[in-house]
Amino acid sequence: MNRYIEILLLTLKYFSPVREVKNPVMFITEISTVVALFITIFPTAFNLPSTSTYLQFYTAVVILLFLTVFFSNLSWAISEGKSQAIAASLQKFKKETTAHLKKGEILVDVKSTDLIKDDIVVVNKNEAIPMDGEIIEGSGYVNESNITGESRPSLKVLGDSVTATTTLVTDHIIIKVTSNPGETFIDQMIKIVASARREKTPNEIALTTFLSGITLVFLIVAALIFSMGYFFLNPIDIMIIIVLLIALIPTTIGGLLPAIGVAAINKVSEFNIIAKSGRAVENAGDIDTIILDKTGTVTMGEREATKFYPNSGVDYTEFQRMCLLSSLQDQTKEGMSIVKLAKRENPNLPDTLEGYRFEPFSAETRYSGIFKGDEYVVKGALKTLKSKYSLQDTFIEALCKEISSRGGTALPVVSNGKFVGVIELNDMLKPGIRERLSSLKSMNIKTIMCTGDDEVTASYISAESGIDEYIANSTPMDKYEVVLKEKGKQRMVAMVGDGTNDAPALSRADVGLAMNNGTQSAKEAANMIDLDSDPTKLMDVIFIGKQILITRGALTTFSIANDISKYFVIIPAMFFFVPQLAFINILDLQNPILAITAALIFNTIVIPFLIPLALRGVRFKPSSLNSLLKRNLLIYGLGGVILPFIAIKIIYIALSAGGVVW
Amino acid sequence: MSLVVSVTSGSTYFWSGFFASNRELSGFIIILIYLVLISIFAYLISGYISKLYRGERTWLTPVSGRIVSFFENMLGEEAKKQMKFREYFSVLMIFSFFSGLIVFIAIFFQNSLPYSLANNHFNLSLTFNTVASFLTNTNLQHYSNPSDLSYFSVTFGITGLMFLASGIGFAASMAFVRGILTDKGTIGNFFHDFLVSIFYLILPLTIFVSLLLILDGVPQTIQSYLAVHNIIAPGFQYVQLGPVGTFEAIKNIGTNGGGFYGSNAAYPLENPNWFSNILEVISFTIIPLGSIFALGKALDEPRFGRMLYTVIMAIFMFSAFMVFFSEYIGIPSMSGLGLIYTGNLLGKESYLGIAQSSIFASGATITSTGAANGALLNYTPAGLVGIMTPLLLNDPLGGVGTGVLNIFMYVIFTVFIASLIVGKLPELMSLRIGSKEIKYSTLSLITHPLLVMIPLGVTLLLPHFLGTFINSKPADLTSLLYEFGSAAANNGSEMGGFLTNQAYFNYLDGVIMILGRYLLIGFQLVIGQSFANKSPKIEFGRTIDPGSYTFALLLMIIMILLGLLSFFPALVLGPVLSWARDFNLFIGVIIR
Repeated sequence: MNRYIEILLLTLKYFSPVREVKNPVMFITEISTVVALFITIFPTAFNLPSTSTYLQFYTAVVILLFLTVFFSNLSWAISEGKSQAIAASLQKFKKETTAHLKKGEILVDVKSTDLIKDDIVVVNKNEAIPMDGEIIEGSGYVNESNITGESRPSLKVLGDSVTATTTLVTDHIIIKVTSNPGETFIDQMIKIVASARREKTPNEIALTTFLSGITLVFLIVAALIFSMGYFFLNPIDIMIIIVLLIALIPTTIGGLLPAIGVAAINKVSEFNIIAKSGRAVENAGDIDTIILDKTGTVTMGEREATKFYPNSGVDYTEFQRMCLLSSLQDQTKEGMSIVKLAKRENPNLPDTLEGYRFEPFSAETRYSGIFKGDEYVVKGALKTLKSKYSLQDTFIEALCKEISSRGGTALPVVSNGKFVGVIELNDMLKPGIRERLSSLKSMNIKTIMCTGDDEVTASYISAESGIDEYIANSTPMDKYEVVLKEKGKQRMVAMVGDGTNDAPALSRADVGLAMNNGTQSAKEAANMIDLDSDPTKLMDVIFIGKQILITRGALTTFSIANDISKYFVIIPAMFFFVPQLAFINILDLQNPILAITAALIFNTIVIPFLIPLALRGVRFKPSSLNSLLKRNLLIYGLGGVILPFIAIKIIYIALSAGGVVW
Repeated sequence: MSLVVSVTSGSTYFWSGFFASNRELSGFIIILIYLVLISIFAYLISGYISKLYRGERTWLTPVSGRIVSFFENMLGEEAKKQMKFREYFSVLMIFSFFSGLIVFIAIFFQNSLPYSLANNHFNLSLTFNTVASFLTNTNLQHYSNPSDLSYFSVTFGITGLMFLASGIGFAASMAFVRGILTDKGTIGNFFHDFLVSIFYLILPLTIFVSLLLILDGVPQTIQSYLAVHNIIAPGFQYVQLGPVGTFEAIKNIGTNGGGFYGSNAAYPLENPNWFSNILEVISFTIIPLGSIFALGKALDEPRFGRMLYTVIMAIFMFSAFMVFFSEYIGIPSMSGLGLIYTGNLLGKESYLGIAQSSIFASGATITSTGAANGALLNYTPAGLVGIMTPLLLNDPLGGVGTGVLNIFMYVIFTVFIASLIVGKLPELMSLRIGSKEIKYSTLSLITHPLLVMIPLGVTLLLPHFLGTFINSKPADLTSLLYEFGSAAANNGSEMGGFLTNQAYFNYLDGVIMILGRYLLIGFQLVIGQSFANKSPKIEFGRTIDPGSYTFALLLMIIMILLGLLSFFPALVLGPVLSWARDFNLFIGVIIR
């Protein structure tokens, strides 16, 4: 209940002319309301008829004009109310805690708000992190649920950034503070959410300019009609001219424009993404190229064993057993998946190492395995094993090649001096990724995948998922090169990044989405931050951006198209004294004043009807530009001409049936 | 049809009979022939114009290039440096101002200057109006030649301004196209562009066309009035001759439109036969329509050029056929009399007929020529709507140079709307369309309706100035709308219906014409400059395709919508009401 009162108060506050002047369409409407009110009170001062019929009509006009401004402000207030709620919810995270500041060798307890950049702070288990910082010593699990909503704590190691107000749940770390008071991540987000609604995007400015121009033309049209009435010796009631003016100026889009802008930021926020500016969201709608990481975006990022291939002469069950044994104590994800697969295929396999000694994978040896005296089972990269045991096996080599051409990873196994088989590991595509990529393709958006994998795997994954281009064996610098190359072709580029070495690319890209668990510099360089650290959300942002642009375009088209039908209602009603013009009155509305009222009622109520559309955004099917253009022109252009005719006729009939006789 | 032609054996007889008895069809075909001819000639010259836009060598370079560099050397550094918008536009304005001033003095003091044969003295307001009119390529004439202007004023003042105005227009379009093509931040040099326009394009074409016209029987002399025996009344009648041929050529080539004679191309010495009629229509469409194709070629986007051509042709055809069929149907009060009625020939030359008059009238308003081969006042209201449609859309085909600029404003605007509708940021040929471009294209698109409606609204409130109107109120409104529409669009087509040579109208029209011309060129060049700061075109269709039929349709809808929204009330109370009255009241002319 409280919220509704708040919105209502906000709505009334927006009646302030200082605020309305930035929105010329509504400003004119507001002035007209005042003038109409004045006329209603003193009709004789304007030489206007003051019979009760006319007074009722005047009152109706004043109320309708007031409602027009009211509805426009209401849509704005609802939108702003939402973003204020978001800012307020962020504000909650800003709590003051005690920090253990490290001064030389001694620890001093200070207030978290007193910390400045480069201070060194110690954080103990179950303590809140006092300030944004970077871990310089130790590691531990941090619960970030207050920011990301993810309840599982995430592991933070040396060099990772930690966010103020999140809680350390294990161990004890030492961090270096990376921001000054009032500049923390939370502070920035609050500032962003609070300020984004104030600043207009270039496109919004352009649209406002256009609407102002049109409004000026209609202002002159209204004045011209006054002159023409005078010329035809039949002065036209100034109130009717005001109605014509308000009906003609694009009140629909003019009224909803501010709301759409704020709704953009809100919608993105609902996805748990903080956009640093409305402009970034708008750019997102115009993206031509997306640079994606393979791991985590296209694929699950976890290689799993999918099949065992024993060498010729090796028993399948025996091979299974060897694979299982070699991986039983392997703590890598690959190793665990091998155990899982083997157990699933054959539950009778042993559970113990049977006296073998396990040697884990290391970067130097590049293999892992089990050893017992002279016996051993070792798995690792083909090249390593070949050179280590100086083996030669064309069958195994061909098999490995074939597996990687299918996008898999081949893990050959050597036991006692010969290749005993190959384990196939596969990186799984994320569920639904293929559909998302194909919808991007239908919007003519090019996808480029960057992956550290080799050529063969990269090409397989791209073909499987529907990626247009890929960069195999890529380094983080390659991403920057790709961004530059695509920008050089004047394309709009979007990318996801989390590391410090992604920062240059993020800042060059038109839309850079940084992961919240990424480094501070990546977050600074990006223009959007995903609190959930889910890279696939970039595609959602693109949809939202497009939706906002389309909403504006659709409502503008609708608003202007309405004018045609309104002309055909109001002009014959205005010049009812010229009988030869009756043929323009295609709706056959006999009572001129009632017809004008019906047109104004339509003009007013269409705004609240469209508020949900403005806040939600118009629906659109991802399709080619040309078909989208045709479809939306039909719906909002042609529909915008036809709908008012029907609606005004219905309102007219309803009014007459309701016994309104003017 | 009541005209019965016996159909006999010979096929020649059959076809002549067929066309004589199917006059709608023959008129339709005549108009189609005109449209096909102008398209062919425009297409033929477009390659040449696109070379001018790109600054490439042409076959005229050996001759014209020398003349241009001669003048450039004379001007020195001024003619060589690359200018930004501010400088380019200032030079353009100063150049226009001083040219206008010189001609102003020449006309104001024409009685004291040579070759003045019993000419009237021009008062201040008429001089201002005349100079403004010719300087802005409008050629609205509030005087009647050749009795009013001396041969000296005509030859040096008016003809000079005709060259100059069209040259300035084409120079502006060169600067604009250069702005699109370049990313150097400059839009060229005004003097260079102007000289190129004159010596590469306008002058050669004018010389060629004047030769054809003179061969066709148009007079070209500076001898005194010719005295001839009048057939009907005793005594002599003085026939005014003069340097008509050259005047007529630049009038049409430069889309100027101001006639040597008061009745313009309806006078047999300006437009003696069907050949000169067709030649004149081709000459006033060749540069504007050629520039449209050339724009596509210069931007390496021929489909874009063809799209613009399609849109303009659609409007042209609507206008021409609307005029033709309305005039053919005529006025019900006349056809209701039961006589053999051949359509509304009132105010038309019988040797040209309805079809050739209609295409001329609509062609003169769709380009900003404004020449006339008939009396527009006597056209039917529906026919007038056809003639006025292009006028109220600010001449979609436009004048020399300005046509390209005007249509481009609509294109920018359409790109903006279309992009929004499909959720793209607006962009045209990889040039980002930002708030600045939208601001200035909006300004240039609303300038025209404002320049028409504000004076119209004000004038209607001043009954003092409406004393000379001779028709019914709707027709008077049409006359005024036409007058201001013609001035604001820099068209110069004159409908009349009231005494135009009044100080009020002289000054008001003069100001409208100057604003309508220089404000627009200013706004458009700002956009050109803004494009010049952006990177040039790159081959990649990343956004909506401005060469597609959907885009063409949308462009046309937006053009008509903007025009319709601005002028609907005035059109309804003017020509539409006259038309409605015509068809309701079957007998007699409408009386006030």
